[in-house]
Amino acid sequence: MDYAVEIKQLTKIFKDNKAVHEISFSIKRGEIVAILGPNGAGKSTTILMMLGLLHPTTGESRLFNADAKEKKVRERIGVMLQEVSLMDGLKVKEILHLFRSYYPKPLPMEQLISFTGLSNEDLNKRTDKLSGGQKRRVGFALALAGNPDLLFFDEPTVGMDIAARKVFWDTVKELAEQGKTIIFSTHYLQEADDVAERIILFNKGKVVADGTPEAIKGNLLKQSVSFDAEKTFPKEKFLQLPQVSDVYVQGGRTFIITNDIDMILAKVFSEQLVVHDIAIEKGRLEEAFEQLTVGQKEVM
Amino acid sequence: MTIFLNQCKAEMLRMFRNPYFIFWSLFMPIVFYYIFTKVVNTDIADKELWGAHYLMSMTSFSVMGSAIMTLGIRLVQERSQGWTAFMKVTPLSSLQYSLAKMIGQSIVHGFSIVVIFIAGVVLNGVSLSAYQWIMSGCWILLGSLPFLGIGVLIGAMKRVDTASGVSNLLYMLLAITGGMWMPMEVLPKTIQAIGAWLPAYNYGNGAWEIIRGGVPEQKNIAILAGYLILFMVLSTYIRRKQEAV
Repeated sequence: MDYAVEIKQLTKIFKDNKAVHEISFSIKRGEIVAILGPNGAGKSTTILMMLGLLHPTTGESRLFNADAKEKKVRERIGVMLQEVSLMDGLKVKEILHLFRSYYPKPLPMEQLISFTGLSNEDLNKRTDKLSGGQKRRVGFALALAGNPDLLFFDEPTVGMDIAARKVFWDTVKELAEQGKTIIFSTHYLQEADDVAERIILFNKGKVVADGTPEAIKGNLLKQSVSFDAEKTFPKEKFLQLPQVSDVYVQGGRTFIITNDIDMILAKVFSEQLVVHDIAIEKGRLEEAFEQLTVGQKEVM
Repeated sequence: MTIFLNQCKAEMLRMFRNPYFIFWSLFMPIVFYYIFTKVVNTDIADKELWGAHYLMSMTSFSVMGSAIMTLGIRLVQERSQGWTAFMKVTPLSSLQYSLAKMIGQSIVHGFSIVVIFIAGVVLNGVSLSAYQWIMSGCWILLGSLPFLGIGVLIGAMKRVDTASGVSNLLYMLLAITGGMWMPMEVLPKTIQAIGAWLPAYNYGNGAWEIIRGGVPEQKNIAILAGYLILFMVLSTYIRRKQEAV
């Protein structure tokens, strides 16, 4: 059992609102996992339960086969939460030094300083004097202070500009190469696709898909083949195929919605169906993702 | 252990860098002390005794305020900014964190006591025996526990604005009804009667007794201990309720 995270039947109910509904998944060591979904899908709630900061209504979550609240687990994790400001009244250097002292094998100070990307002058400033972006970077360095094996980033790039995002993800990729397990939540499909090797797609408090970015994109994408067909066109035959989600006629053309265009075309030709003017339409990924997330905003 | 010492040090640094703390806990009590011993009340019969008495009043006033306000408001701030939750994912335990806060704060209070005592010596030449200095200092430090309890209660509030409003009001009311600004005897009878049962008077009175060559009354100790227990029970109850969500 070499799992970094194991979640079984996790459910969280706030008053009458089911924020997370019976989700189960495990994450192996060394995996880079994106928890993707619109706002209010239950991503943060799930992360907070993984960290032991929220009690699940039912179900359980374990890190390294132990309770997240145990000291030996906390010594191995690094966390960046949403909307956490830094402890005030301390200088950047002081807070880094303080956090290093919490862990048995902290990263060297120089390395943490380089993670913040701050100048010497800013390092001697108090945390309350920093800009929002600078605070995020210090927060990132704090997450890494203990040289953790498992990292959690809850919506890490919110409020970062494009340049800062690039630097952030480049560093994350480096950390991944060192064999660290990384879990981050995002509502940007692009980020999940670029960085993660696995995407767990959340929607309305449930896991709606779990797989490689390619597989998830395949599921999300609506591709269609359309053509002019004769009336005898065997609609039912195509509807029965697992690769086909819908067949309909619109404006005199027959549309087949599928995730496997090649297979449909092969089928059309091998059955020797008489069709004309074949057109293939590939949906845009971002569009498909947005469609999925439309109508969920009120769940927040 | 080093973790813990580092944490105490950090908490102390944070307090000393807080301008409100410096203003309310060091500057104001010393200014009040100067005004009420040098500028007004100059026709008091036993000036020497008044100088020592009011020094105790102002030192208690300082430590009481810092216990209620600095601790309470800081707790609310840390929670509302997500810092409290964040600390829970570090290896530092909640117990170590709270303990470091209390010890750090007590050391700072010790510092305030020494500074205000020195101000008394410098401004009015207050002279007490070594035993009296140490005893009154220790009393003010230890007697502040119920006020730290109030601070923790204030710390359970949701918004910083509410917390600072309530703690300011409470602080002023306690200081006045406890005879810290002016002697109890000057106050209306009803307020005297109520004030005698409030923690501030019993806190101040312990120190006033010590400088008069006595010891704190048993009633003072009992009332302060009673309040401490009450506040501890209350805050445990509130925390359970808040965590149940």
